Amino acid sequence: MAQQTPPARGGKISRRDFLKLMAAAGTVLTFVPFVDWGKFLPNPSGKVAEKAKVELPDGTQANIKTFPVNSSKAVIYPKTNDNVLNKESFRTWQFIRLPEELGGTKNDVSSFRMYSMVCLHLWCLWKYWPDPGRKRGECPCHGSMYDPLTGKAFAGPASLQAPPSNVLARLDLESDTDGNIWIKPPNWSPNGNGVVGYGRFLKE
Amino acid sequence: MVVSLKNENSLVRFLRWIYAGVERTIFMGLKFTLPGRFVSPLGFLGMLTFVMFIILGITGALLMLFYEPELDRAWNSVQTINNAIPYGFHMRNIHYHASNAMVMLALLHMYYQYFSGRYKIRNEILWVTGILIGVLTILEAFTGYDIIFSERAELAISIAASLTNSIPVLGPQMREAFFGGGFHDFVLRFYAFHVFFLPIFLLGLMVVHFPRFLVFDVPMVMAISGAVMLTGGVFPVDLGTRFDPSTPPGITVPEWYLTGLYAFLRTMYDKFVTGVAWPGLFIFALLVVPFVDRYKKFSWKDRPLITAVGITSLAQIMVTTYWGFYIDPDIKKALLERLVIDPIFFYAVMLLLVPLSFGFTYMMIKLAKNAEANAKLRPKKPAGKKSINLSQRTIYIIFVALLIFQIYLNISAYYAVVSGMKNFSLFIIGIMMLVFAGMFHIYRHGRTMSKAPPPPPPSRAVTPPTARPTLVPPRPTPAPAATGEKPLAPPPVQKAGGAQESKSTTQPHMEAKAQSSSDIQTPNPTDKPDEDY
Repeated sequence: MAQQTPPARGGKISRRDFLKLMAAAGTVLTFVPFVDWGKFLPNPSGKVAEKAKVELPDGTQANIKTFPVNSSKAVIYPKTNDNVLNKESFRTWQFIRLPEELGGTKNDVSSFRMYSMVCLHLWCLWKYWPDPGRKRGECPCHGSMYDPLTGKAFAGPASLQAPPSNVLARLDLESDTDGNIWIKPPNWSPNGNGVVGYGRFLKE
Repeated sequence: MVVSLKNENSLVRFLRWIYAGVERTIFMGLKFTLPGRFVSPLGFLGMLTFVMFIILGITGALLMLFYEPELDRAWNSVQTINNAIPYGFHMRNIHYHASNAMVMLALLHMYYQYFSGRYKIRNEILWVTGILIGVLTILEAFTGYDIIFSERAELAISIAASLTNSIPVLGPQMREAFFGGGFHDFVLRFYAFHVFFLPIFLLGLMVVHFPRFLVFDVPMVMAISGAVMLTGGVFPVDLGTRFDPSTPPGITVPEWYLTGLYAFLRTMYDKFVTGVAWPGLFIFALLVVPFVDRYKKFSWKDRPLITAVGITSLAQIMVTTYWGFYIDPDIKKALLERLVIDPIFFYAVMLLLVPLSFGFTYMMIKLAKNAEANAKLRPKKPAGKKSINLSQRTIYIIFVALLIFQIYLNISAYYAVVSGMKNFSLFIIGIMMLVFAGMFHIYRHGRTMSKAPPPPPPSRAVTPPTARPTLVPPRPTPAPAATGEKPLAPPPVQKAGGAQESKSTTQPHMEAKAQSSSDIQTPNPTDKPDEDY
């Protein structure tokens, strides 16, 4: 300490506080990069950036021209190379072509729907019943029933849950010129495509 | 502890309330010091080892979120962590390199305690638990690299299982009890050992091993953490080859802390003798050393036989470790021929190392004593010579420069992440940790300076002897009973204790020294601060 300057007075920041301030700035600067490390926690295998085929159980891509009216198939999405993950309920979707009275005969994607098969009540797997007089999604566990047009529960325990937990998560579809159906990259939020097993806000 | 704050808001009062409550807990028995100046890390290598353990615990817990301990999924899940999960590469590399650092620091810690004779003076329990912790640490590291289930891991498991099997009488039963029936059990059980059994034993032993005087040196801790990350960035750990029972495995060697053992196994002598009895004998020798060492003094110079044995063990560890790594590069030879070490040659070298090490020790002690005698004759050097005196202004300038450098590193780390250069980003974050260590050191230096009383001469003249007291002058013969007796920590210091604030300044040290109490800053027989964890 060669030059012992008198401590600064009035309005100016004191030596010690200045040192503390710099130390605080240094600490923040050092640990800022670790904030991003939080991305380690969510599993990235659910994120899909590109559109994907609607791959039917027989391995072919669903096509508007061939898929029968008033019928459904279970489709795995997002599909992985891992058989265990592919058997997951949360990756199981019901691909439905609507019945005639709901507009299922139109030859565009508007006659198709794709909903998460995980029931919003207690996560059993519901499915679509095409029989005359039913034509709805039914859950085997507690009898929740889903409207194939919107994915909204209209009967059973799931219908009693407050929004967004009464409407199924849904995937947006598009078709190419050959009539092949594709799944658009989803936005997993209640206001977007919904959250599997949790629900979606119905926008009308 | 933050009693110096002027504004007593509710948060401060809440913290005070918590601090008052801590008084009822076991933590008040510990004296926790944040050094206010640079102290040699040799004295708190144990704490650094423990910090590595904590880092391993955190990264390991996070890796558990994605690792799958199943025969056909283990390797793939590690591959996913390494390649697909964001920052999975970072976690895995920090976990791997921290494990190496932990083993290395534990070894250094042990040898430092050994040569400084600090396993005496009622520290025998600390020493014995420390040896057990060391053995478990190596087992922990070993199980860790086995559960990747690469080719190398499979070879390591097969060696571990066959060594257990080779134990007379109970071997086969022990093998079944520990390893189970087959590969499926191996992976699952090694995983259970790695994440639960061994860590819980380690923690239990650590409770006993913890001395009451602890030093947490922030710059050194950050520097070691930074070094781990930096190493991870420069030498990222590979995945190995996925184990496939139908393809012949290539030549692999175990991790460096086991190649010594591997060298013994490669002499193709009896498995039990080479793989269980020899290391067992080594561990046993370490366990009983404090009870065999009957020297009244502590320094390595005053315990020639013990020092010579320590040097011999170091020499033999180094030679066997290197030998375990060495594989004849001549590919034309048969695999077995390249791997097998001639036992006569090998053991002859081991024996030869004994007289060499003893001679080396004799020479070192002679030289050290001569140097000591010479130093006594020479006039004393001015005491303050070693301390670096920087003006306040210079400190600020360095600090600001480091801050700017840190901003630059932040930007680099950001771009490294954005462009997917994982190892580079890990490297940069390692550098940032090192810069933080530097900044913290400057901060505490500046704080000490601003706290120093205005007239410089007295404080200047007094401080250096504490800063560098005992390395230069010849040590007076210590009174072992008074110094370094941990269980008998004197009450006055204890009462002041808890206030680590006071420890960081220079004045209390002087008082403590004047009292010649066993305060942690008092030079003890080994010339180092007494904090040994």
